[in-house]
This record gives sequence, C-alpha cells and structure tokens, in this order.
Amino acid sequence: MKTTLGLVVIALLALLPWLLGNHYVFHIATMITIMIPMALSLNLMMKIGQLSIAQPAFMGIGAYGSALLTMRLGVPPMLSIVCGSILSAIAAATLGPIFLRIKGVYFVLLTYAFGQIVNLIFQEWTSLFGGNNGLYDIPKLSIFSMRLAEVSHYYVVGLIFTTLCYICMRMLEKSDIGAIFESLNEDEILSRSLGSNAMMWRIGAFTLSALMAGAAGGFYAFYIGFLSPDTFGFNGSIDLIVINAIGGVGSVLGPVLGAILVVPLPELLRDAHEYQLLVYGLCLIVFLLFVRDGLTSLIPNRRRAAQ
Amino acid sequence: MLEQIVANGILVGLIYVVMALGFSLIFGIMRIVNFAHGEFYMVGAVVVLFLFGGMGWPFFLSVIAGGITSAILGMIVERVLFRPLGSNENARMIMSLAIGIVLQSIALLIMGPSEQTVARPFSGTWDLGSAVIPTDRTVVAVSALIVLVMFYLFLKRTRMGVAMQAVAQDPETSSLVGVESNRVYVLAFGMGCLLAGLAGGLMAPVYTVGPYMGETPMLKAFVVVILGGLGSIPGAVLGGLLIGLTESVLSTLLDSTAALIVSFGIVLLIVITRPSGLLGRTVR
Repeated sequence: MKTTLGLVVIALLALLPWLLGNHYVFHIATMITIMIPMALSLNLMMKIGQLSIAQPAFMGIGAYGSALLTMRLGVPPMLSIVCGSILSAIAAATLGPIFLRIKGVYFVLLTYAFGQIVNLIFQEWTSLFGGNNGLYDIPKLSIFSMRLAEVSHYYVVGLIFTTLCYICMRMLEKSDIGAIFESLNEDEILSRSLGSNAMMWRIGAFTLSALMAGAAGGFYAFYIGFLSPDTFGFNGSIDLIVINAIGGVGSVLGPVLGAILVVPLPELLRDAHEYQLLVYGLCLIVFLLFVRDGLTSLIPNRRRAAQ
Repeated sequence: MLEQIVANGILVGLIYVVMALGFSLIFGIMRIVNFAHGEFYMVGAVVVLFLFGGMGWPFFLSVIAGGITSAILGMIVERVLFRPLGSNENARMIMSLAIGIVLQSIALLIMGPSEQTVARPFSGTWDLGSAVIPTDRTVVAVSALIVLVMFYLFLKRTRMGVAMQAVAQDPETSSLVGVESNRVYVLAFGMGCLLAGLAGGLMAPVYTVGPYMGETPMLKAFVVVILGGLGSIPGAVLGGLLIGLTESVLSTLLDSTAALIVSFGIVLLIVITRPSGLLGRTVR
C-alpha cells in the first residue's frame, strides 16, 4: 500500500513542471525521464547479480545510431530511435554469450573495458561520430509530422516512455521471469537444477537492458540535439550506480526514486559546481554504510513485515 | 630505433609495475577492486607539488612524504569505510568509487581544475647505444626499481609480508594459525596506497599535477593487472613491462588513442579466454 502511496506522490511530482511553468524545470524533468530507464537497465543487471559498467555504452550506441540514421539516411526520428535501440540490443545479444560466462569482479572489469573501447571509438572515428567535438545539428523529434519544438513536448514523450519502461520492469519483477532472475543471483546452481536455462535468461536480461538503454539514448539524442562521447563514459556509469545505491536495488521503485533525487542535484549545486562531486561521493558513502538497501528499504511494507 | 622503443617501453613499464603492484596487492588480499587507486596516486603527486615545488623540500624526501601521506589515508579509509561493509564485493567496489570521487573533489576544491607543473629536479639526457634517454625518466625508473626490490624483500623476508601472503591464499586457515586478518587488511591497503603514492610522487615532475591526473595511470594499472592476473605479484611485473613495451611500439606505429584501444582489446580477450591472467591463480 505504501508503494502505491509512493507512486501517487511521484505522479504528482511529475505534474510539478506545469505548475512552475519554468523552461528550466522542464529540462531537468525531461532529463529525469531519460535517466530513469537508464537506471532501470542497470537495476535489471544488478538483479541478476552482474554489475554492468557497459550501460552508458549501450546508451551511446542507441544515441549515435539513431541520430546518424536520421542525419545520413533520412530515416524518420521515431523509427530511428526504434532502430537504434534494436542495434544496441543486437550488440548485447551478440556479446552476451561471451560476456555473461564471466561473473563477479571480472564481469565488472570486462564491461568496463568494453565501455572504454566503445567510447574511444566514438572519440577516434571522427568522420562518422564527430569525435570529441561532438555530433551537431541532430534534427528535432517529430511524431506523425508533428514537430516537437517545446521542452514540455519532449517532457510528455519522456514521461510516456519512462512510464512504459517502469510498468514493463514492474510486471517483469512480479512475474515468474522476475523470480528466475532473482534466483540467478541468489543461488544459480539450485535455479538450474530446477530447470531454468540460466545462460539464456542472463542473455535475455542483458539484451533487454541494452534495448532500454539504447531507446533512452535515442530519445536523448533528439532531445539534446548534440552528442559528445564523454556523456557515455565511465562517469555515466557512476551516476547510474549512485542512483541505484541511493534508491535501492531491491525494487524497481528504487531507481525511480534515486533518479528523481540525484538528477536535479548537479542543477541545484550549479553555482557550487566544485561541491557537486563531493556531495555525490559523500552521499554514496553514507548510503553504503548506513542505508545499504537504499531508500525503498525505508518504506515499510506490510507484506515484507508479515513474512 | 628499436633500442629507443625498448628503452621507452621499459622506462614507462616500471612505473606501471609500481602502480599495478599496489592495485594487485589490495585485490589479492582484500578482494577489493580499488577504483580509487588513481586518486591515491594523485595524492602522492599533490604532496610533492606542495613540499618540493612549494616549500623547497628535497625531491626524494617529498616523494617519500607523498607515499606516506597516501598510505596513512589508505589505512584510515580501510578501517573506517571498508571494514563495516563485510565481504560484499559489489558494495566494496562501489565504496572505492565513492572514495575516488571524494578525493578527486577535495583536490578540485584545494587546487582548482587547472593542471600545475612541478619544476624538474633533473634535466638533460644520456645515450645508450643509439637511444637517447632523458635523465629524469631514468631517475624515475631507477627509483621504481628500488621500490620494487624493497617491496619484494618485504613480502618474502618479514613476518608481516609472509602473513599477507598467507591471508591472500586462505584467510581462514591463516587466522587459525594466529594471523590477525584485520591488521593485515589495514596494512595491505596502506601498502597498496603507499606504492600508488610513491608512483604519483615520482611522476609529478614528469607530467602535470591536477585533480584528474590519476585517471590514466589507474586505467594502465587496471590493464596491466588484468593481463598479469589479478592478485598475482609476478604477473603485475610481467604485465607492466609487457604493456610498457607494447605501448611504446604501438604509439610509434599508430597514435596513442589507437594504442589504448588495442590495449583494452587485449584486456577483453584475456578476460574472456583466461580470466585469471597470464600468471594468475585460478579463480576461486
């Protein structure tokens, strides 16, 4: 019940930008709707017990992929976003069988190295990706020949997108598949002895997480209109980890809460940019030490209490 | 040409070895992937910037001070921040990220984002065959070699060194024979940070000093350690020299970013085909 209350509060928060009517608030809110699916994609990987540092790289593949499809081949933006995210999912599905055999620390290192390579390619292949100067002049998003010009339009699209992602993840968590994912983390041998094809489920989770990250990347590309490699680097992963650690990995509500709290932080601390990193780091330490399971663990849950 | 490439490779490689040894020691004993290792390197360099560059202390004394500052900081961090986390691998990894962020931001607050230079304590070059070698790099390499030998003697000849090896191999059994693992953890983390701080201090006059200077050496240490095997000391030495040489060859033939892509490609291959690295123990 408390979760429902939490969702109502979040829904009300989602309406806040219209009340304030400020261009800037709309921008931050739109960024939150992009970061929630990103955080959910890392959350999915953490659920199966594999901390992936490659999520921003998948976001980058989706972002650059869809932007280039529209700019070079004239594909309609919405279709490009779909294609870009599929591209990202294909990358994950291809790499999955190799990467997911590795677990624990080595998986982290592997995805880290993969992320670095993807990022270096974005930097180096200047003729295609624009290098460190970035990729400019990405056209605005248009849906059925309706061109989105205002930030608030993007916010609506982002809100729909993020709600869809949340609902999908929530349904997944509640379903048998969610239970299988959890079992892969808790006791894989037992899970396999009960007949789950652990490897297939892992690849499935990895692919789904890349699909979501790719879609978020595509939407980001058309919203911001400019891409540069360092958005998709290691710091992007740190943001996602912070969001998950603060919100809580245990439930899909965690990343949502985390994103709502963490994404506005750089904006609130804009005048004191130097303190932004410090606050980030200290928050992370405090949460690791004292609220290990994140904010969602603080929400009293009747069912959990009854168990 | 060849001599120059080999000489450059070894000069760079020795510093990678010192960085990688600390990283590997911390992983081997505590199972922590220390993402803050580059920041401990930065701490050593910043101390040299202040003591040698600012207050005119002798160079080597400042380097040692830098190493010790970094070591003390490391020991405090281990005791206060890592120990309460228990054996949760992911939590420890995230904690090391957090520590890296905090150290970086403190450096940013103290010295600002700009890179600063430290006056070179040594200048000139000397010739080895056809290779021209800068004196300051030679001093760095020789100091690194001395650090390596001392570290080796520490591990093999002192009781604490042997205790560290014992804990790395089997924490439970070693505690049965009276090794206090908690003390070993604090010292091992301090030792790893000491090595990072010394490397940073030595390199301070060679490159510039700034809050983000630790990122590249951290990447290098990481590549070296994966190549040699996480937790393996001989692996770190072999890996460091190999990566130094490979880079030297590649950056002569290609540009340095391409060299970086290749070295990460090597990491991917190694982790996939032989996760324990060239000389690593099999993963438990």
